[in-house]
Amino acid sequence: MMRLTAVLFFWCSILSFISCSLKQPVPGNVYRGVLADRIKGFDPSQCSDLYSHICQKQVYEPLYEYKYLARPYDIQPCLAESLPRISADGLEYTIHLRKGIFFSDDLCFPSGKGREVVARDFIYSIKRLADVRTRTTGWWLFEDKIAGLNEFRFSTRQLKTSDTADYLSDVAGLAATSDSTLVIILTKPCPYFKYILTMSYAAVIPHEAVEYYADEFLNHPVGTGPYILKEWRRGLRLVFEKNPKYVHGLYPVEGGADDSAAGLLNDAGKPLPFIDRLEYYTFTETQPMILNFLRGNLERSGIPKDNYNNLINPDKTLREEYTDQGIQFIRAEDLDLTYTTFNFKDTLLGSRRKLRQAISLAVDVDKIIDLFYNGRAIRAQGPIPPGLFGYDATFRNPYQGRDVERAKRSLAEAGFPGGRGLPEFEYLTQANTTSRQMAEKFTADMAEIGIRIKIIGVTWPEFLERLKTSKFQIAGLAWMADYPDPENFLQLLYGPNEAPGENAANYKNAEYDSLYRKITVLTDGADRLACIKRMQAIVAEDCPWIFDTHRVSESLCYSWLKNYKPHIVSPEQVKYFRIDTDQRKRMLGQ
Amino acid sequence: MAAYIVRRMFYMIPLLLGVTAVVFLLFNVVGGNPAYQILGKNASQEEVRQLEHQLGLDRPLVVQYFDYLRQLVCFDFGRSWATKQKISTMIREGLVPSLSLTVPSFVIGSILSVLLSLVVAFYRNRLWDRIIVILCVMGMSISILVYIIAGQYYLSFAFGLFPISGWEPGLKGIPFLVLPAGIWIIVGLGSDVRFYRTVILDQTGKEYVLTARAKGVSERLVMLKHVLKNAMIPIVASMTMALPFLFTGSLLLESFFGIPGLGNMSINAINASDFPVIKAVTFFGAFLYMAANLLGDILYRLFDPRIRLE
Repeated sequence: MMRLTAVLFFWCSILSFISCSLKQPVPGNVYRGVLADRIKGFDPSQCSDLYSHICQKQVYEPLYEYKYLARPYDIQPCLAESLPRISADGLEYTIHLRKGIFFSDDLCFPSGKGREVVARDFIYSIKRLADVRTRTTGWWLFEDKIAGLNEFRFSTRQLKTSDTADYLSDVAGLAATSDSTLVIILTKPCPYFKYILTMSYAAVIPHEAVEYYADEFLNHPVGTGPYILKEWRRGLRLVFEKNPKYVHGLYPVEGGADDSAAGLLNDAGKPLPFIDRLEYYTFTETQPMILNFLRGNLERSGIPKDNYNNLINPDKTLREEYTDQGIQFIRAEDLDLTYTTFNFKDTLLGSRRKLRQAISLAVDVDKIIDLFYNGRAIRAQGPIPPGLFGYDATFRNPYQGRDVERAKRSLAEAGFPGGRGLPEFEYLTQANTTSRQMAEKFTADMAEIGIRIKIIGVTWPEFLERLKTSKFQIAGLAWMADYPDPENFLQLLYGPNEAPGENAANYKNAEYDSLYRKITVLTDGADRLACIKRMQAIVAEDCPWIFDTHRVSESLCYSWLKNYKPHIVSPEQVKYFRIDTDQRKRMLGQ
Repeated sequence: MAAYIVRRMFYMIPLLLGVTAVVFLLFNVVGGNPAYQILGKNASQEEVRQLEHQLGLDRPLVVQYFDYLRQLVCFDFGRSWATKQKISTMIREGLVPSLSLTVPSFVIGSILSVLLSLVVAFYRNRLWDRIIVILCVMGMSISILVYIIAGQYYLSFAFGLFPISGWEPGLKGIPFLVLPAGIWIIVGLGSDVRFYRTVILDQTGKEYVLTARAKGVSERLVMLKHVLKNAMIPIVASMTMALPFLFTGSLLLESFFGIPGLGNMSINAINASDFPVIKAVTFFGAFLYMAANLLGDILYRLFDPRIRLE
């Protein structure tokens, strides 16, 4: 017995020692953020995923950025001195740059000192995007928009990977009239071009870094942003520290009454950033993420599906035990759409509108929202999500919302009463658990009206390949806004964008296409709104998609994190955040 | 024995060729076109074709396969398509975290399993034997996910005994490794103890044990000096086969505990269709497995001089 007691005592001592050594000091002016996946890297030309975007934004800057507090979303100058001066025909953008903006110090520069940003750097950055060999995921944003850029891209096709592209050759639509003046000439008016200039793809990069680091450029960011990368251990952590050369950011002085009441204007006009150091941790599993957050090791966290009911009450409020810990529950509507697309190249699905309507009516979207999103979504009535110009909260899609009897009638009118005479349809989905479960739900819904579904679960590359080559019948998809303009959603059904373009449905409607062409050149106003409403009515009736949901983003954050306001288009604007370090110390000490 | 080793190394060549062929076919036939993964959903067909050309994916499969073999022979795995890093650098960076978890777990786990199996063999058919064997069966029957989720929740979060997740190089990293290493040990303990117990009990019925007992050697000495020595042959063979997995890491433990090891890197490469990394990691894994097999045979010979390697 004595020996057993001694052994137990030994192990308790070891555990206590380990436990004591774990008591991490409360961090100073440090923000500890979450990345739910590894990032691809720091090359703005490859910024196609959310987490790369979050990290790149700390280092790189474009000409314009979103106003932090303004809703609906609007832009303000970032590296530009003012908003662009646009010619009367909407084609010529004259942009004056801020003076005294420097790239961060880096080995790629002679003597290691970052040089001043000039207009030619933006031309270089855009040309690099157009260079075929860059393999950018963002060319589609610039394609056909800037005069002469398509031709420049074509010329790079002839080059070998090892050749240096002639970035000094002229592109008609890109000119630096002085070191601080950039002129961009478009091929046709594009009211949402200003939004493209806010994207990470449009960030300015120094050619010295691209040349110096070559293949490894994406691992060595050199930008003008508020932070510089200090440490990057893949799959674990990224650490950023304040960029000493960043001097041009100020906290907004304008905001709504809600912002003022929420204390979001307390730091109005103060220089940015407030936080000295950012630490982003990669969590590929949700349990360690939420547990670290609840322990106070992270400032913010999403709410994992499996933990939702433990954290949130049925009335969508945070449970009291967590509010007592100073945790806040933040809810914001995403600018996105989940939908199920039919392939119009399939002779049966493409030609039978009544059949598509029947399928749409049979889908139990409310159950999907309950089962797969914990109620964190609303039913989509059309392609445009709430918060964008053209969204009509009163519009009701006649074929959205479960109505099995109507679905059966519609199916009979299509010539297939009770599903008789129909083949088994293939439903294309990704081979992961949630996608598979959603496909099973779709199959069960269809079985109720007599339609048989075969689920085809494939890898993401194969999924994309099948969409691009139209080798599917029905597929589940989602789209998140790249920029806050309805065009970004409406282009998904524009005829000429058919596969391999973004119109995976291969839907074609002459009236819709004509209206789409109009809205791409019209500025927001009554004419544009009328066009959008008509387009929405057309697709509701034609049913190329089943409009499923617009998701709602919910997250948790501690009250010591100040100035946090969710920004769906450009999330994690950390340069505006401030940590009340005293409050955090107090609360974590408790 | 030298001739045997050389011959075995030659045998490894067709086996490695088989592995590379299977991996190559799986990736090219089942995996989908990586160009779509790299360029993203907005890529045009023309961009996809150009990238296929840049990556050499438009060449005949046979040509691609021989190019792959050439890379293997030259130990030049190239760069990752996703991160553009040199693959040798990626493996080196991933190896340290993986080994920092697996080596201590393996060493402690092996010592513990041998000791426990000696205890249960010593107390065979008595209460301690039954309790430990039942616990082993229970331990084997529970999924590693349960240990991870429960351990992380109760020991790290609720009681605060360990960090929830993370990794640091050097001694600072020890607290981060205690829980995942503990789970690794517990998960392996059940099957190891049962196997080693069987092996030890098998020895206890041999004539030399009876002779030792007849000579009046104490039971403890019989177990430690005679039985254990002879039982070590299959035990060492079994341990040797576990060696390759020390290098390839543990996917689940690394994912849940945020350890940036090779397991984590491999699954990321598979998700990203990063074929150069997949090729290198599978080749590395297959090579280690075969090398461990060979090492096991050599150790057999060293432990048991009656065995001849021919």
